Amino acid sequence: MTGPRRYVGERVRRNEDARLLTGRALFVDDVRLEGMLHVAFLRSQHAHARVKGVDVAAARRRPGVVAVYTAGDLGDFWRPGPLLVPPPPIPGLLFNSCTQVPLAKDKVRHAGEPLAMVVAESRYVAEDALEDMTVDVEPLPVVVDLEAALAPGAPLVHEHLPSNVAAHVVQRKGDYERARSGAHAVIKRRLRYDRGAAAAIENRAVVAQWDPRAEELTVWDTTQAPIPIRNGLAGLLGLLESQVRVVAPFVGGGFGPKIMMFYPEELLVPWAAMRLGRPVKWSEDRQENFYATTQERGQIHDAEIALARDGRILGVRDRFLHDAGAYDPYGLTVPINSQCTLLGPYDIANYDSEFTAVFTNKTIVTPVRGAGRQHGVFVIERLLDYAARQLGLDRVEIRRRNLLRPEQFPHNHEILFQDSAPLVYDSGNYEPALDEALRIVDYERFVREEQPRLRAAGRHVGIGVVCYVEGTGIGPYEGARVTVEPSGRVRVATGVGTQGQGHFTVFAQIVADVLGVDVEQVHVITGDTREFHWGTGTFASRGAVVAGSACHAAAVAVREKILDLASHLLEAPKHDLELADGSVGVRGAPDSAVGLGEIARRANPLRGAVRPGTEPGLEATAYFGPERGSTANGVHAAIVEVDPETALVEVTRYVVVHDSGRVLNPLLVDGQIHGGVAHGIGNAFYEQLVYDENGQLLNASFMDYLLPTATDVPPVETAHSETPSPLNPLGVKGVGEAGAIPAGAAFAQAVEDALAGSGLEITEIPLSPNRLFELIAQAGGKRA
Amino acid sequence: MIVEGTFTFAGPREAVWDLLQNPDVLVKALPGAKRLVRSGEDRYEGVMRVGVGPVTAAEFAVAVAVRDKVPPQRYALDVDSKGAVGFTRGTARVELEALADGRTRLKYTAELQVGGKIAGLGQRLLDQVAKLMTRQGLEALNQELRTRLARGSAG
Repeated sequence: MTGPRRYVGERVRRNEDARLLTGRALFVDDVRLEGMLHVAFLRSQHAHARVKGVDVAAARRRPGVVAVYTAGDLGDFWRPGPLLVPPPPIPGLLFNSCTQVPLAKDKVRHAGEPLAMVVAESRYVAEDALEDMTVDVEPLPVVVDLEAALAPGAPLVHEHLPSNVAAHVVQRKGDYERARSGAHAVIKRRLRYDRGAAAAIENRAVVAQWDPRAEELTVWDTTQAPIPIRNGLAGLLGLLESQVRVVAPFVGGGFGPKIMMFYPEELLVPWAAMRLGRPVKWSEDRQENFYATTQERGQIHDAEIALARDGRILGVRDRFLHDAGAYDPYGLTVPINSQCTLLGPYDIANYDSEFTAVFTNKTIVTPVRGAGRQHGVFVIERLLDYAARQLGLDRVEIRRRNLLRPEQFPHNHEILFQDSAPLVYDSGNYEPALDEALRIVDYERFVREEQPRLRAAGRHVGIGVVCYVEGTGIGPYEGARVTVEPSGRVRVATGVGTQGQGHFTVFAQIVADVLGVDVEQVHVITGDTREFHWGTGTFASRGAVVAGSACHAAAVAVREKILDLASHLLEAPKHDLELADGSVGVRGAPDSAVGLGEIARRANPLRGAVRPGTEPGLEATAYFGPERGSTANGVHAAIVEVDPETALVEVTRYVVVHDSGRVLNPLLVDGQIHGGVAHGIGNAFYEQLVYDENGQLLNASFMDYLLPTATDVPPVETAHSETPSPLNPLGVKGVGEAGAIPAGAAFAQAVEDALAGSGLEITEIPLSPNRLFELIAQAGGKRA
Repeated sequence: MIVEGTFTFAGPREAVWDLLQNPDVLVKALPGAKRLVRSGEDRYEGVMRVGVGPVTAAEFAVAVAVRDKVPPQRYALDVDSKGAVGFTRGTARVELEALADGRTRLKYTAELQVGGKIAGLGQRLLDQVAKLMTRQGLEALNQELRTRLARGSAG
């Protein structure tokens, strides 16, 4: 007997694709309601200015305009937004919480900050009304550069604070000074890493409808976290949580900025819908997205590494500045991720890390795929590259010598992670992933044969091999409800939102295996608070880990109910029963099988059939909250060819070997990695948000902000190694950010290798053909 | 953004100076100028329509203050323009030099801060548009100068 079909671990095709590919999936902008009004926002053109007044009289008179609101019109609803992620309890931590407001009142702190909201019969009229308004402002000196922001006498983004310091955090383990004093070599560099926009295909959108008869507010929102948004809106609008339904339908990419931000638009659209008694819609346009949707941005690291003669890391010291933007509602997640992820997969006994987060007159910084991890990886990987060169070691060898060994897990890094839990790696087996990547990319042959042959032919090819870890699957918790309907079909409801990850498939796989049903018979509902209203959201590569484990737990509970009922019905002990093909029956007696639909009907008992303690339905709700996050790891290997005349770089091969614990669906994991690598290559060579000295974003469109296209991203070769996590029943770890995190470090190493001998050092990302051309010229100048 | 250059007018310095101080002439000569009126001593206000790349024909309210005036040699302009698609602020300096052949060389340097949509969308084209508009305006003024001089000599 072969046993029931198993879906977990298989390349199951996506349940949701038929709807997506035929245009039947609902996105927020598809929501069109009777009498719906449309919104446009007046946004600040200045990055820093005192607001003396906004004249909206003419806009109010324009035919078709229903309402215009400024900060003064919001009454008690005007208040700074919530602090979304309070900082971890790190001793000595300084954190100045300054959260954004719905509409700027006295002062604007970044270009694009909203000043007024127009509600009109159409978006056309609303946008025309923006031109009717005049803003009386007194421009103020602008804070752009991180170091200048901290200089004495610098203009202040928040005047009630003594400086532009948003936070100051020190985390240490061991004794770096002592390690340094005994070091054979100490290598020091200044490294800069800038990130960009998330550039999701779908911009943000919100539609809100107040139903006065049901006394219910329904909000369709492109959020990654519908439940926190529901709870927050209920509190702010004075409603019961049960009176607010937030639906995050299909969302075209989240990547971080669509998290529970309580964006001004997210608050004001529902508020206006209640006030006006008509449905209200706002869809962000692409240009607004560049100013009004959160971004990730630059850090400057002054880092040094102390090494033994054999290349073993004795310690690392890092001092860095982090650009927080104008407000810091998301706490310190990004810089703490940088601080923690710098330790990577390596055995680093002594670490001394200190950062200062800095307010600037730029759009707010919150996590974007990687969420600061890439900054840390870039620093340690670059330091190891320079260390290998100085010590005369192969770059792979220096990494291999420092990798944590399997017997060192769980490994306590003795500092706190962003989830406030100690940074403890749950499990890992790092060397096999490195070996597998080297095998696939054929490292030895490349460096011994191919590279010398191509170099002799005048071509500049290089290879980069970097290691990384990815902290994933953090708490607090998620939940799921699994229901077998009388039709035999299974419904799974969970609170996380979905932005393309394949939740409709992977959760269905988990439940299908537990209940022995066809995966296509499992109908998954995500992101609708009416269906499920406990949970947090989709971020930090946690969906499969946390919500997946909750789905598993709920399915196991339903399975118990099925077995209880079937045992009674079939007069057989539970351990003799088997669930397969949508039925339950006595093992070895196929004729005894009863469909789960029939069991579900019997589980909804009629009069007289109820025994004390009976719960109706084949339904169960379960929750899962991990003790702490699980740590995935991997290796990226890239081969590039550089044209030194034009400084164009072609990525010719890209290999990712990833260990995200047990793989639930290799198709989905591959997809996450492919997409992540595209983000990472964009970050390395194409994408950069360029601000001028006045805080004006100079490339606020896809004409000038370059995303990598299909021709810029090579086919990504992937392989999976599987070291199960002990922190959840499925043994899984997250994979959402793995493709993006180390790409900059791999790219820098490969480009430097391609131009070996030129004296070129790449200590910054992103590059561009322009910037690389300058760096090549500078290196040439230094050599000459 | 810095816009600078020189231009040679086909006439004497005093005539060029008069031309440059006359809003009625300037409004006709400057590309996109829809209105320009004197709003006080050495102060002008007006409306301009400018297109920069994808930002097409947007209106700007312009306020100009003239200072450091040394007729007919030089003056400075504080420019403040704003509209729905952005703003520019800054100072322009203009110098006039009488050439030996009776012509006049104008030297201009403007240092402008540009913000809003025109900065975010039009950055790549801004320099070109500014140069083109300056050139077109100066050519038109030179044409007006020629006409005036011809009228003068004819009358």
